[in-house]
Amino acid sequence: MFASVRRLFNNTIFRLSMIAASLFAFSSLVVLGYIYVATVSVEIINIDNRLKQELDEIEAMYLEKGGDYTNKQIIHRMRPGQGTMYVYVHNNDFTSNIAFKPQLDGEPERGRPFQFVYNATNDTNPNAQAQIHRARARARFMGRTGYILVARDVELIMTTAERVTRALLISIAIALSLGLISGIYVSRRFARRVDAFNKLATDIRAGDLKRRAPRDHSGDELDDLAGHLNEMLDHIDRLMQAMRYAGDSIAHDLRSPLTRLQTRLEGASAAVKDKASRTVLLEASDDASQLLRTFEAVLRIARLETGERREMLVALDPRALLEDIAELYGPSCEEAGHVFRLEIEGKHQLRADRGLLSQAVSNLVENAIKYTPKGGGIILSLRKVKSGRTEISVTDTGPGIPAGDRGRVKERFVRLEESRTAPGSGLGLALVDAVADLHRAQLELSDGNPSEEHPLVGLRAALIFPKFKRS
Amino acid sequence: MRILVVEDDEIAAEYVRKGLMEAGHVVDLAHDGELGLEMAKAADYDALVLDRMLPKRDGLSLLRALREDGDATPVLILSALGEVDQKVEGLRAGGDDYLAKPYSFTELLARVEAIGRRSDPTAAVTKLKAGDLEMDLLARTVRRAGQNILLQPREFRLLECLMRHTGKVVTRTMLLEKVWDYHFDPQTNVIDVHISRLRAKIDKDFDLPILHTVRGAGYRLQV
Repeated sequence: MFASVRRLFNNTIFRLSMIAASLFAFSSLVVLGYIYVATVSVEIINIDNRLKQELDEIEAMYLEKGGDYTNKQIIHRMRPGQGTMYVYVHNNDFTSNIAFKPQLDGEPERGRPFQFVYNATNDTNPNAQAQIHRARARARFMGRTGYILVARDVELIMTTAERVTRALLISIAIALSLGLISGIYVSRRFARRVDAFNKLATDIRAGDLKRRAPRDHSGDELDDLAGHLNEMLDHIDRLMQAMRYAGDSIAHDLRSPLTRLQTRLEGASAAVKDKASRTVLLEASDDASQLLRTFEAVLRIARLETGERREMLVALDPRALLEDIAELYGPSCEEAGHVFRLEIEGKHQLRADRGLLSQAVSNLVENAIKYTPKGGGIILSLRKVKSGRTEISVTDTGPGIPAGDRGRVKERFVRLEESRTAPGSGLGLALVDAVADLHRAQLELSDGNPSEEHPLVGLRAALIFPKFKRS
Repeated sequence: MRILVVEDDEIAAEYVRKGLMEAGHVVDLAHDGELGLEMAKAADYDALVLDRMLPKRDGLSLLRALREDGDATPVLILSALGEVDQKVEGLRAGGDDYLAKPYSFTELLARVEAIGRRSDPTAAVTKLKAGDLEMDLLARTVRRAGQNILLQPREFRLLECLMRHTGKVVTRTMLLEKVWDYHFDPQTNVIDVHISRLRAKIDKDFDLPILHTVRGAGYRLQV
């Protein structure tokens, strides 16, 4: 939960949409403030000013004509429909058209406008529901014992203002939550699309050149980017195909004459009666085959290195594969005077190509047979190594490979001095390495297990596969 | 057998023709895909040798057209593209066997004779016979001169493959493909070792050897 929230905040689009929502909320508040000032405050100030004016008039009247006259005038002003409310207290007179005696709490001294609430119910109907209204008032002392209060009902203004405020606050809240929701939605969508690009890049790097970025044809930036990426990938694919085509053509063009050469030598050797000449021709023919095989192995490795065949890997049990190899090579090992053993521990599953993996393992076994002196021991083993990974290894009791040369021997055409005399093209381990790479496996070379019986260092060649994942 | 060779390389085609004729076959040549298809449709061949890369119409397209037409003539596909997936592609298009260039002529001859109409190695037989050697495919037993011979399962399949092509050369590569389902060339004499073990069982105690080695080619079961 926490992690997913953090991921959300790491998302550019989410952050941008949150900033946008906050800006919107802030500007809404500014607008709200302006509306409040432009309507309510201005109106109230007008009312306050009018109230002051009226108080001034009444005060002037009082000072000029005295309390009784003023009282009469006020009663006169209290005609219905005027909207102004009065409270007049003078000596023992009390004149008012509000059903409320305001607590003045020193307001007359301060002369400031103030607000109070009163019951605006019409007097003539005593059963009517009380209507509590707000009013704006100013008061002023008249002589020592009296005062005059004028007030106006501001209920309508205030409720309108309140309604507008509430509506605006709610709309800000809605806008913020919509902003949050759409921010999450848009950012998820964006993250998904970016993830699609990342996955694409990973797949392409892994050799899956047929993958393309998904497009929605909306014409937005991401869609444009996808379009450009796809065009770029198409271009790369075309180049790769052109290269492959060139390779295939060279293979075709070169192999045909070489095949003819070989066929001619073969035919000639059959036709020649002289034994010495025939031997020479047969040897020449064998050399031609060797040349062609080397050429083929190079092409094969080159093809493997493109990683194209990775999509053809299937789930298989390596046990059966190794049993087949053991069955094929066991007799050869015995023939060469070696003790051959197949050791299988545990259950395994790999994503592999049977043919390629068989070839890789058989290359390792053939190397072991080739380099181990007569009377040695060869062990083909299948077991689990750390973190549930499967390891296929071939251990021999031959001379081994010095630690410093172990990286080098995986390269093409690299043959160590010691093995120069043995037949071979120096492509065996390179092919194993390319097959391992295709399976995302590691080819690890290390010392074998020298013993009293087999004092040579020995070589242990291990293919370590990634943990099997159900697809 | 009457064989049609469709190959654009005229020198290679001529060599194949000469070789096949020397082996006793009647051979026609076509140098492009269109002509090849016409000729294959016009006459009744026992086998077709088909190059994949051809002018006018490529080999696989020719093969598909032929198969869509209901023509089941056995086809050996030749190609410089030796990868296993391309092999699969070729077999899926209706090819009966696939041979990658470079091939030796003996390999080609062995394979053409193996797929040719007059020898149908996939026919639903239950018993195979070569002289006094008998194989019961259902009971999985082998007898020679009435004497039971015990074989390992793989030796049984090896012998079965040889017996299905009695009298013809079977190459090491063919054996590796058909018996072990491996499509690569081992650098060692691994097949020879298996053959010599098989030979020890079926030939050693008998007067007449029937499993012969053909130098530079492979093996042949010959009575």
